[in-house]
Amino acid sequence: MASSHSSTHTEAAKMEQVITEFFYKGVLIILESRSPYVSSRNYSGEQTVSSPSSSSSSSSSVRPRDKWFNLALRECPSALESLDLCRQSNFETVVVDVILEQKPLDWEPVTFSPKRDLVRNLSSKDKNSFCWNFDQEESGSETKSEKIIERWLVQHESRKGRDCSSGSRRSSSNNLSTLYKKSILLLRSLYVTVRLLPAYKIFRDLNSSGQIRAIKLVPRVSSFVEPFTRKEEAEMQRFWFTPVDTSCGRLSLSVLYRSSISDISSESSTPMSPQFIPDYVGSPLADPLRRFPSLPVSHGSPSSLPFSRRHSWSYDHYKASPPLVSFSPSPTHSESRASVSNPSSRCLPPMSLSPHPPETLLAHRKNTNYDEYCPSPNFSASPSPSPSPPIHIPGSHLSKALLRSESAPVNIPAPRLATSPALSCKQNLPPSPPLKVTKAGTSKDNIGPVQTGATIEKLFSFGKEDYRKYSGVKLSSNSSPRISFSRSSSRSLQDDFDDSEFPCPFDVEDDDMTDPGSRPESYDRRGHMSDPHETGLFMNRKSQDAAVGALVRMLKKAPLRQDVSSSINFSEASRPEMWSNSVQEQNQILEAVTVEHATSSSIASSRLVASKTTSDALEELRGYRELKNLLLSEGGRSYTSANYASEAEHSSRGS
Amino acid sequence: MRTIIMNCEVCQLKELEVEHFEIREVLRCILHTIVFHRALGLVRPKDVDLELFEITYVQCGDVEVEKKIDEKIDHFISWVEKHPNKKSQICLSFYEVKSKQPSWFTNKTERLYWEQWYLNLNVTQHPKSHLGKSHHSKVVIDPGDSGASEERSSRRAAVEASLREVLFQIIKFVNEKKDHVPPISEGVIYFPYEITIPSSSDSAFGMDMIKRMLQTGHPTMLS
Repeated sequence: MASSHSSTHTEAAKMEQVITEFFYKGVLIILESRSPYVSSRNYSGEQTVSSPSSSSSSSSSVRPRDKWFNLALRECPSALESLDLCRQSNFETVVVDVILEQKPLDWEPVTFSPKRDLVRNLSSKDKNSFCWNFDQEESGSETKSEKIIERWLVQHESRKGRDCSSGSRRSSSNNLSTLYKKSILLLRSLYVTVRLLPAYKIFRDLNSSGQIRAIKLVPRVSSFVEPFTRKEEAEMQRFWFTPVDTSCGRLSLSVLYRSSISDISSESSTPMSPQFIPDYVGSPLADPLRRFPSLPVSHGSPSSLPFSRRHSWSYDHYKASPPLVSFSPSPTHSESRASVSNPSSRCLPPMSLSPHPPETLLAHRKNTNYDEYCPSPNFSASPSPSPSPPIHIPGSHLSKALLRSESAPVNIPAPRLATSPALSCKQNLPPSPPLKVTKAGTSKDNIGPVQTGATIEKLFSFGKEDYRKYSGVKLSSNSSPRISFSRSSSRSLQDDFDDSEFPCPFDVEDDDMTDPGSRPESYDRRGHMSDPHETGLFMNRKSQDAAVGALVRMLKKAPLRQDVSSSINFSEASRPEMWSNSVQEQNQILEAVTVEHATSSSIASSRLVASKTTSDALEELRGYRELKNLLLSEGGRSYTSANYASEAEHSSRGS
Repeated sequence: MRTIIMNCEVCQLKELEVEHFEIREVLRCILHTIVFHRALGLVRPKDVDLELFEITYVQCGDVEVEKKIDEKIDHFISWVEKHPNKKSQICLSFYEVKSKQPSWFTNKTERLYWEQWYLNLNVTQHPKSHLGKSHHSKVVIDPGDSGASEERSSRRAAVEASLREVLFQIIKFVNEKKDHVPPISEGVIYFPYEITIPSSSDSAFGMDMIKRMLQTGHPTMLS
């Protein structure tokens, strides 16, 4: 009795041991096919290599535990330790969740660190390099998305109300051997099955590629888990292994798995890295041709006109002629500060340095990047993410020249450009003010005209002078214009610059005339610049008349020079007429008419291509001329003598 | 040799339509999977990734088993080359050797087959895919137009899906039928088995071996 009892007890103990080892082996099979550090794939080569002593006795290199169920697998203390926790629950249920983790961008490679909760002891005691802490902690962010793609259930369902230790010795031993054999078969099929499920492909890819991936498989062993929702379970498929009867229950294995995880893994397996967005809204790459939607400024956004471009056109390349081509910016740039900063950071191409014909410049405008002309590469680090590499390449020499000339006339310290990129970044037109002055200074002759003579550029340097005064107002305190600009909106700043440098009214389209309407604000901002009359003129006209008036204004204020084109002469000649005119609309018309002569000849002499709007403006001016003639004929004897004389002069010159 | 088939569990695997160059990998995969389930001695499993398909199968790791299986596959491929576009069957049988008491008349051993697996293959051959040497079948030859690559890949996917089905069929069969499996002998790694391939005639297995020996000059043709 005692012996049978002891044998029975022994049998029961053995049964329990078989059950325990079954749990361990099952979990190990699952873990080693879902975690690269436990996998025996990495050392599967050892198996085929026949060492001198292990030709047939592979058991010599197999640890005792490995032999359980005749399936030699590498031992893993971590898995053992996790099972220790499950032992506390009497090995009734062990759940292995295979979780697909998607790491954040700053995910760091896995480091061996203490497991959080499932393993009681670290595997530090184990010197085995293949030991693995499943559910490692990364040194990166904790925010990661997890998705359970597999849930393995290893259970020993006890048969209630039956004495497990009962039964004859023979039946017990038979039961034990049968149990063991069937457990072997079950675990064999488990071993094959884990490699056929979709998750294995992910594991294999992660295992084989040495890249740091954004996804990770993390098995998690626990005693009980929250069951899936019905919806979740509906998305998964279940595979049952045939249970194996034990003396007091049965061992069962099942798996819930997602059959379609390839889409998840493919989405998340792409290593995510910071990317430059080259075609952000407003970038030249997005719409390279839109920078010059038309020759004249297309939109009412001359505020977004790159100040630098104007300068480059007007001062450096159009010494003798006003650029009829407008500095039309990319319309998108006017929408935001960041976008505005792009045109500001982008300058005219350096090819425009040489005096090109306007048509060439027009073409260049359309096709080239402003970046190249930016005087300071720092500006490329403006709020816009555009790296603007061309800035450095072609425009570097230009920038140097600009810097040189900047410092000369208006005492803008060049280092400011370089040393205060932050400031420049804050504003949207960092290079603009200095550029203006620079443009004047680049061609040394222009510096003079600012003070002495009148050139065609002086027509545009009207704006220069305005700016100078403006900048003088700002710069008198030696403050950087950038600072001042940063205080105001980019749009208004550009308005300022537009106004001050408005080269040719005929450059401007109708819709751009709205900006002159806004200019008074900027003028007012400048303070002294505003001429009430002119202000009123601008405010009243939102057409090319206003442009004509602006030209008239410039002609008034622009100093004259001998080496200017005939247009300057016209301006000289027309001044008296302009001055003689009273503040009336008729006077304005007269100015427009006289200016028309000047501008028409200037157009002819400057070899500029008559733009569409320019010709329209000319026609309109002719209309005004006729109207003027009509008015003259009707009355205004006070004008007659002077006007007839002037007309005679004009006609003699114009013809 | 007497053959007794009693209480023999038979499993007819789903028919697979394969191309000539796929035969080796498909047969290896299926045969090794079955043998792994029947090599119940101490084994150190060996994972093998197929080249043509996204499938990893398991070998028991025994060198002899691998060698025997490869030989049988070679024979089968040779047979297929001689009998193209034919449905063929390979039988993997597990038996117990029962030594009969020697007597005057019978001194042979008995093979008690307790399990038989039938692998059904339908080898489709393209004109260009005919391979002279079976050991070249590892080389993937994709005949046909380049424009039929889509068709080829879809076909390949279908074959892979069918192969997976066959493997799961094996797993289910192994799970459902355990009682007929004989007890594990000490020191025995795998149950004795044999692989039977179709022969052109009904001649004995051994005669086929001799024929192949003469044709291919292979020194070891006997299984």
